[in-house]
Amino acid sequence: MDFVIPAQAGIQRQKQFREADKTKFSFHLHGTYLIVWIPAYAGMTDFSKYGMGIYDMLKRFLFIRGAEIIALLSLASIPLFVSNSYALGLLTLLAIYGILLIGLDVTVGYLGQVNLAQAAFLGLGAYAAGICVTTFGLGMLSALGVSLLVGLLLGGLLAFPALRLDGPQFALATLSFSALATTVLNEWEGLTGGAQGLSLDRPLLFGILMDAKAFYWLCFIFLALVWLLMRNLLASQWGRAFEALRDSAIATDAMGVGTYRHKVAGFALGSALGGLAGGLYAFNFQYLQPQSFTYDLMVILLLGVVLGGRKSLWGAFFGACLIVLLPNLLSNRLLFELISAGGLLVAIAAAWRGWSSSKRLTFQAVAPIIAMGILVVGGYLVENTENWRKAIFALMLFSVVVGLPDGVMGFAARFLSQLFRISPSELPPASKLEDALPTRQHSGNTLLELQNLKRYFGGVKAVDGVSMKVRAGQIHGLIGPNGSGKSTAVNVISGLYAPTSGEILLQGKALPQGSLFKVARVGVARTFQNLQLFAELTALENVMVALREVYHTPLPLVLLGLAGKEEQRAQADALALLKLVGLEAQARSRAKDLTYGAQRFLEIARALARKPALLILDEPAAGLAHPDVTVLVNIIKSIRECGMTVILIEHHMDVVSELCDVVTVLDGGQVIAEGTPSEVKRNPKVIKAYLGVESEAGLPDAMPQPA
Amino acid sequence: MDTSIILQMVVSGAFMGLVYALIAYGFQLTFATSKSINFGQGELVMLSAFFSLTLLNLGLPYWLMVPGGLLFGAALGLVVERAGVRLALEQKSEGWILLTIILGLLGFSAAENIWGRDDRPFPTPISADALHVFGINITPLEISVAIGVFLVMGAVELFKRKTLMGKAFEAVSADRDAAELMGISATRTIMLSYGLSGMVAAMAGILISPITTVGPTMASALILKAFAVAVVAGLDSGFGVVLIGIFLGALESLTSFYLGSGWREAPGLVLLILALAVRPNGVFGKSTMRKV
Amino acid sequence: MLIVDNLHAGYGNSEVLMGASLQVKQGSVVALIGANGAGKTTTMRAISGMIRPTRGAVMLDGQPVQGHGAARIARLGLAHSPEGRKVFGPLSVEDNLLLGAFNHLPRFFGFRAKAEIELERVYELFPRLRERKGQAAGTLSGGEQQMLAIGRALMAKPKVILLDEPSMGLAPVIVQEVFNTIRRLKEAGITLLLVEQFAKSALEVADYAYVMEHGNIAVEGTPAELNQNQRVLAAYLG
Repeated sequence: MDFVIPAQAGIQRQKQFREADKTKFSFHLHGTYLIVWIPAYAGMTDFSKYGMGIYDMLKRFLFIRGAEIIALLSLASIPLFVSNSYALGLLTLLAIYGILLIGLDVTVGYLGQVNLAQAAFLGLGAYAAGICVTTFGLGMLSALGVSLLVGLLLGGLLAFPALRLDGPQFALATLSFSALATTVLNEWEGLTGGAQGLSLDRPLLFGILMDAKAFYWLCFIFLALVWLLMRNLLASQWGRAFEALRDSAIATDAMGVGTYRHKVAGFALGSALGGLAGGLYAFNFQYLQPQSFTYDLMVILLLGVVLGGRKSLWGAFFGACLIVLLPNLLSNRLLFELISAGGLLVAIAAAWRGWSSSKRLTFQAVAPIIAMGILVVGGYLVENTENWRKAIFALMLFSVVVGLPDGVMGFAARFLSQLFRISPSELPPASKLEDALPTRQHSGNTLLELQNLKRYFGGVKAVDGVSMKVRAGQIHGLIGPNGSGKSTAVNVISGLYAPTSGEILLQGKALPQGSLFKVARVGVARTFQNLQLFAELTALENVMVALREVYHTPLPLVLLGLAGKEEQRAQADALALLKLVGLEAQARSRAKDLTYGAQRFLEIARALARKPALLILDEPAAGLAHPDVTVLVNIIKSIRECGMTVILIEHHMDVVSELCDVVTVLDGGQVIAEGTPSEVKRNPKVIKAYLGVESEAGLPDAMPQPA
Repeated sequence: MDTSIILQMVVSGAFMGLVYALIAYGFQLTFATSKSINFGQGELVMLSAFFSLTLLNLGLPYWLMVPGGLLFGAALGLVVERAGVRLALEQKSEGWILLTIILGLLGFSAAENIWGRDDRPFPTPISADALHVFGINITPLEISVAIGVFLVMGAVELFKRKTLMGKAFEAVSADRDAAELMGISATRTIMLSYGLSGMVAAMAGILISPITTVGPTMASALILKAFAVAVVAGLDSGFGVVLIGIFLGALESLTSFYLGSGWREAPGLVLLILALAVRPNGVFGKSTMRKV
Repeated sequence: MLIVDNLHAGYGNSEVLMGASLQVKQGSVVALIGANGAGKTTTMRAISGMIRPTRGAVMLDGQPVQGHGAARIARLGLAHSPEGRKVFGPLSVEDNLLLGAFNHLPRFFGFRAKAEIELERVYELFPRLRERKGQAAGTLSGGEQQMLAIGRALMAKPKVILLDEPSMGLAPVIVQEVFNTIRRLKEAGITLLLVEQFAKSALEVADYAYVMEHGNIAVEGTPAELNQNQRVLAAYLG
């Protein structure tokens, strides 16, 4: 592949970038960063250590924690002033939907999957609680516990098969699951009462009669708990893993994080919250019918999450407000007309801004105007807006999905952080490299052995019987012309492809085949020729995702926010590795905003975070400008000093000569030579493979510098 | 249990299964070119059926109504492609899933308000009086469904295999970039696939309406089973959908006989989830490979 | 025939191509050589419209084509045989060839008869393809796939063919065959822009050559001139 950033442009851009770095954080603040990450950092920071940052920290604390505290306090105290039972009913529903949407956001926002089963989990949780109370006479809290468990277990059960594939198949599986759930609720009349519905009474809680006010407070307490626990979880390595696997599932597997298990865990968690919300829902309405939990409700829930803003607790909360108020908005004619006209104006303003900057009207700008226009015109023509409820939802959702993909809260978070210039918290000092990447003593024994490895693609023999040995502590070069099978060979070793035949032994034991995750777990880390970074995460977080032997805190403590020490250690270790590759100044930059060279180095730092026995570098110099190649060579040299064993695929002969202890040359999927770099360069077979003709002169030693 | 009753169940279920297969075939068409499917396809079936009914009520003879209905379906398919799919595919996001659901919802609401919420009969010149074949009742209506399904699928397959445009269609599904280099516009091919898929859905609507009657919710159960057939067979499985469709139709017919009509939908849904667990790419699907 | 002027292009936020300029005269074979990652493939992709150039001009037969989509540029007479061959695996060899001629064949029926002459020509050039015309292209060996890719490009009767790394991943004997083919194309008067890592072989068949370094043309000249140049020697390797 031809990827290159010419030297000068690269350096220049890097310079611009460093300047931009200072103010950058305020640009890229996204819902998540504002709402989830910063509190975590703020909460961990030791006040006495950084006198200078105290003003910033206070501002951060006030804006982020302050907003939370104000919201929670006002929600808690409203019933003291308002005794209107209708308003109280809406508030209760708000708390329930808040929990439900926070759960839905885990799959839709963090895992990035379209989940159509959350309404079903609400229903299943509701019926579980209802049946517990009516049939088994359980108390309220135990019934709610059962609801949660039902969500968790059924969610896990569905996730196991469904999450093996992404995209449409997953959406279809969740859709089928919800239809199946409705069928079961409808038909299992002995247990659920079928279409007749299920009536239940609110049991006493600790001997207290749960009137509307008391029940609201109960729901509120659950919402606050869910909020706090989820905030802690999403700020931990779990939340990072969720986000990472959405950006690159291949890389999360290759970093030993386990894409599949995290997906299943995330989905089960979201479903459990759905079940809990269902339990509260049952006690709120005290009457359940299967048709309350169908596809229609699901669409409204999606509207809430998408409009509120994905990947954000605030977004889910805002979405819940919207869902609760929506029926009132629709029934009030004037309000509806105001909202649709407002929506149209916003769409036009957004399109105007887009047009004035690029002189181009995109579909993204025009489509919301058309949709909102239909809404406005239709609002005048139609007699009864209630009848067109679904069409109205559809038009609003359409406009948001197309025109405002970050949702209202994503937009607001960006806007607010720009307005108040909220800066990120300071990082702990970097660990010693020795702590982050322990030096290995090596005996020079064989670490990795390939025995007659083959991998065919249809009629193409990409790897055709390769045998080689990699000794511990050495840098082993793997070279050959384009298409000679180098990349396929390491893809087979690292488990991306299963071999057609042949054996791979690591320290004498057979390496798992065909699973990136399993191979990563036994101590092989790799980089990718076509970068597989977690683009939306910062450089620091990219490394933190991959860190091994750092996260020990059990999940319950993580949920309670007691993993601060560990988190700080992880940051320090990650910083040490970033320092090794010269990126500690860009720790807070998002990976996708880094220069191309920096992205390559970041992949190396991330692979090192695995503390691997074997590191595979797949064309790390591809596309690098000359100064960056020098940096790369120095990075690899310092990695060697740690006693790391490296397989280096490389085209640049000078890099290979400078770094490699042994070189294996592939051509046409077969080994044609092996030896020290200088031996290999004089080998006539190698010369022929590279130049296509016989030559007496041998390969030149180094690339002449460009004039 | 009398075997002839079981056989009867299996046969009439199989005819319904053919309609699921036809809709599932429509999913395959768009999946091949764009790796996307229309989650609002059920609404497309329903809207085309309503439109065809309106054509009949306007006095158009049945045989002229059919092409009219198919054209309407194709036009709706194009709308879905333009409004719901193209942008998301350009952005390589999965927003298309949401957008096609949303467009379906819009269509549903429109149908509810334009044609009303009641189910209406769909007149047809084909008789519903049963013929007795080997002790089983088969209606000419059912036979017409089978003929219609095979006609449409056959015509589309013929188009794909025997015309250059059809080969271009396959080229886009095999390698989009390379097809562009041959001068084949991928965007237009995807449009074509959505148009064809809409047409296929319309045909399904016209074929099934005389049996199920026409109403806004006529396709909501139908579409779930079509999804199931498509996933169980594999979204790139070709004629595998016919076998799975017949199998599922027969199975659910037996299920509703033994467990009650409320459980009718269950086997398809269970099969879909099971298929994902055992063979994620479908019984007849090809396995995919991760790439870096 | 093909003039590229000050072409800039890249992927995402990294600019790979920084103002490359080159010319391909009618009936000539021009080689584009350079180290891995120098921007050769990107140049090809930017010319044929697979990626949009950010700046600069591409003139095909006097007509500006930059900024058009790949399909439109192909219709204007440019055939790009991409890196990695990219044959349509599930389709038969003959269907692959017919699709190569997509632009000037009837869309629905009678296309096979109309393509007869071109097909014969390609089959004559590559008798192996005739033997395997009913076989799925994905089951061919690497060398046969490369022949198919070249044949498919020829079917378009293009004004210019861009040939990207035709020798990639092939056994040495097959590589020789590929270069023999290129020689025959040259004798037939085909205009060809060739990207090759086997610089020496490429220089043997080319009339003129450009050496790329870091997204720019570093050196250009006739093969004889370039064979004397130290920097070209470096480009052999990458």
